[in-house]
Amino acid sequence: MKKLRNTRLIISTGFFLSVVALGVVGPWVYPVDPFSPSGKRTQPPSWEHPLGTDAHGRDVLAQLMHGIRTSLWIGVIAASIATPIGVLVGGISGYKRGVLDELLMASTNIVLAFPPILLLLLVTVFVPVRTRMVVALLIGLTSWPLLARAVRSQVMSLKERQFTFLARMAGLGDIKIVLVELLPNMMSYVFSSFVWLMSGAMLAEAGLSMIGMGVTADVSLGTMLFWAQMIDAVRRGLFWWFIPPGGILTIMSASLLLLATALDELFNPKLRGR
Amino acid sequence: MYLNVLRYLARRVVFALAAFLFFIVAIFTLPRLIPGNPVDVLVSRLVMQAQANPELIHAVHRKFMEEFGVGLPLWKQFTRFVAQLLRGDLGTSISMYPRKVSEILALFLPWTVALLIPAILVSWAVGNFLGVLIAWRRGTVLDRVITPILLTINRIPFYWFAMVMLFIFAVYLRFFPIGDTYRWGLSPGLNWNFVVNYLHHYALPFLTLVVISTGGWAIGMRSMTIYELGSDYILFADLLGLPQRRLLAYAFRSACLPQVTELGLNFGLMLGGSLLLELVFNYRGMGSITFQALSTLDYPLIQGIFIVLAAAVIAVNLVVDIVYGLVDPRIKVT
Repeated sequence: MKKLRNTRLIISTGFFLSVVALGVVGPWVYPVDPFSPSGKRTQPPSWEHPLGTDAHGRDVLAQLMHGIRTSLWIGVIAASIATPIGVLVGGISGYKRGVLDELLMASTNIVLAFPPILLLLLVTVFVPVRTRMVVALLIGLTSWPLLARAVRSQVMSLKERQFTFLARMAGLGDIKIVLVELLPNMMSYVFSSFVWLMSGAMLAEAGLSMIGMGVTADVSLGTMLFWAQMIDAVRRGLFWWFIPPGGILTIMSASLLLLATALDELFNPKLRGR
Repeated sequence: MYLNVLRYLARRVVFALAAFLFFIVAIFTLPRLIPGNPVDVLVSRLVMQAQANPELIHAVHRKFMEEFGVGLPLWKQFTRFVAQLLRGDLGTSISMYPRKVSEILALFLPWTVALLIPAILVSWAVGNFLGVLIAWRRGTVLDRVITPILLTINRIPFYWFAMVMLFIFAVYLRFFPIGDTYRWGLSPGLNWNFVVNYLHHYALPFLTLVVISTGGWAIGMRSMTIYELGSDYILFADLLGLPQRRLLAYAFRSACLPQVTELGLNFGLMLGGSLLLELVFNYRGMGSITFQALSTLDYPLIQGIFIVLAAAVIAVNLVVDIVYGLVDPRIKVT
């Protein structure tokens, strides 16, 4: 059993890091401009262009490397925004209970009830120029509810443990109990949540970009798919153009999710099954 | 006992109404946050895009000044907005002026429902069955190989998977048509010719949606069943010497309940995914009309689409909650 967990951890980390390497180191090894034409239009893969060119003659591999950077950047920032919100809302809700809990959970459930893509679209419609930061912010602000719910139930169970009672008897204030006693017990969970939020944020970004509502004036993996769809790459059989971005996206997102579940099992022996 | 059920139901209905109200307020507020007059902005976008003739633009401008209630106090605008909504009036489309938004939606909505609802139900059934099977064989090679695969499938972007499926089965193998809802020139109706043609177009988007959603259901069911299998009542039943098959059946029944709630949550996700998927297959449902509305910045149409979809998501969640309340015995006692 122990061996299995480690292999899953190693495999998922390995996949993720190799994609990261492609995005970070790639552009140095393969310095081709992703934004301007560097060859003939819609060329299949060749020695000169390992992944061919798109309908404007731009190099697909160079775009892919750049797109990985954009997706990663947005994933990290969005998760960094969503994680504290989720922990805060869930923490207050679970610790204080009462009317405040009801209100916070009601608003959490409201946000949760809507398809994230609709919430995002509703706002992006009114933001004509969308930088990476704007998109990351929007995704971060809409993706915290699931985490909040999970943190709430964790806090509710931790609150009933003996060490919390002892801390209260010792005269510690609420804030100190939450920060010193409860939070350290949830750190592992919060960390793995960060990982799956990142995985979800990258998919959300791609979903927005795929309909032309993502980052403007930049290349992400989703934008590549959007361009390919606009030019009807599927029906024209330009497989080298639309297969790589989605494949890379799947590998990144899935390896992060696998990593999150492997971390969960590593930190929490109860989840290991028998 | 029944009082508890009634109280539960009342709470759910109030929550659903509150959620819808929240959404309506958001929809109402957003265009009014644009500095200046929202109608000027919306119509000027139309001018930039379409360069329509000036008379039409004047007519459109007047029409929307009236519909938005520009100049009235904000609360009056809001009550007008709600009153129009209650009458089922979603305003007039800009890009397809002078057609009503509700007319346009009535034309596109049924096709999305026809695609989405069966796909959700089939993937739910298949996924749950698969999940129990894996949970039963947990820790074996089957579990170790299939679970990561299902997790991966769960993360494939809908839109891209649709492209790949279309490429393999329609463009390369030519098993299915390369898009559209039905052959051009056919008129929808309950005749053999149309139904066969429609199903031929329907099969690929349907299968794509089912395959991609099954993964999530199976993973959820797997962990739920494993959790139930570890609980005291199963242990007790096991000690009594009940056959394994019976234990699994008990665990399955308890594990199904949370999966019913998930049905409501997932409906929103799958709806979003199917909108994207429709675009790839040129399937003329809500996805195509949403994309058209977004790319022409037809705000009344965008607003109408969002209101209808939000109402659908909230209604489905309410129905799921009600079903859950009737099925789960615990709600009757607590």
